[in-house]
Amino acid sequence: MFSLGELFDWLTDAENWTGRYGLANLFVEHLTLTLVSLAIAGLLAIPIGVAIGQSGRGETLVIAISSASRAIPTMGLMFALVMVMGVEFRQFAVVLALVGIAIPPVLAGAYAGIKSIPIVIREGARAQGMTTLQQIRHVGLPLSASSIAGGFKIAYLQVVSTVVLAPLVGLGGLGFGVIQGLALRDFAQLTGSAAVIVLLSITGERLFAKAQGKLDRRLTLSKTNR
Amino acid sequence: MEWAAKNFDFVLELSVTHLLISLVPLVLGSVLAFALVRLTPLKLAGTIGTTFSAIYAIPSLAVFVALPAVIGTSYLGPTNVVIALSIYVAAAMFFSIRDAFSQVSKPTVFIARAQGLSPLQLFVHVELPLAIPGLIAGLRVAAASTVSMASIGAIVGVRNLGYLFLDGFQRKIPEEILTGLFAIFIIGIALDLGLWALGKALTPWTRRSAQRV
Repeated sequence: MFSLGELFDWLTDAENWTGRYGLANLFVEHLTLTLVSLAIAGLLAIPIGVAIGQSGRGETLVIAISSASRAIPTMGLMFALVMVMGVEFRQFAVVLALVGIAIPPVLAGAYAGIKSIPIVIREGARAQGMTTLQQIRHVGLPLSASSIAGGFKIAYLQVVSTVVLAPLVGLGGLGFGVIQGLALRDFAQLTGSAAVIVLLSITGERLFAKAQGKLDRRLTLSKTNR
Repeated sequence: MEWAAKNFDFVLELSVTHLLISLVPLVLGSVLAFALVRLTPLKLAGTIGTTFSAIYAIPSLAVFVALPAVIGTSYLGPTNVVIALSIYVAAAMFFSIRDAFSQVSKPTVFIARAQGLSPLQLFVHVELPLAIPGLIAGLRVAAASTVSMASIGAIVGVRNLGYLFLDGFQRKIPEEILTGLFAIFIIGIALDLGLWALGKALTPWTRRSAQRV
């Protein structure tokens, strides 16, 4: 059986951290792919989610998208897009797949955030003569910020775990060591890479959860101050 | 559709494996989560919750390949996948089981207790039936994600529908990948409908009251 000592040796060997397929480079690739996809998904999904929540139109669409998206395997989606768009455009296809994976949770978060604002507050903002844009900017977005952060947290988890599969379609990322380790029966590389993936995903999840908690607390604080 | 028709038996065989490798973790994970919710003291519930949400954050492929180092199973084959998926189901179901039971209204429980029901009777005849809508809702979410996550097991050598993605990509047959996507989607929908029907069948009173209104 594979021992913890071997894992430690592999992880502390500088050679495994440098070079094109070193952990440092793969880590940066993994994080870049994840964050770029999350940013694009946010730019698309937040305005749509806010608009749907604000207008109350298209609510069934949000529910349908979020329940259908759970049943679609992210792995198959990525493979299918790379295949259909061509292997030479794989980078683009993978980002497109990741954006598609990240949109439903962010959309649901933005929509639910607006929806959960008490009707008194929303009507109050309107009664004060705010335009729709002002209502969104000064009331809707600040009050739904923690729900949007929660949506990003779920999206982050799904995107990070799908990027692990990117080496299968010829891209980099931390999954490289897992796939190569499996093929070459190099269990030190396999487990070492898995350990770094675990670290990345749990740290990211904690950070998003912290941000969500902070935004939540800011709301309750400002309520008691008044 | 030509590819799917020509390889129908093969796809069917993979589908059966896929269904089994999703159903077994669903049952095992739910039982584990149930035991944890009911049997652990309240003080520990917070710790278990944090642990589970951390586990839930780990990408499945990483869990599949990290398990052998932790518990000494073989790197390839279905054992790791079943164990890992069970843990994911338990992590998701822990929260929905806890919420489903805490949503049972307290007065109902007090009245039942005052009528002289034993703890077991109270559980079987009052708490469990009233928690069923919440339990089914949790199971539906867990089932959908388990069915789609199970496909990643193909990378560690499990012959399920995920194999169609790997094989179709290597042999450049887009139809094969699409067949896999479609079959997994169908299994997910079928399980979802099955659970929905089960929920309806187990809570006949919700239907009756709806008719009266």
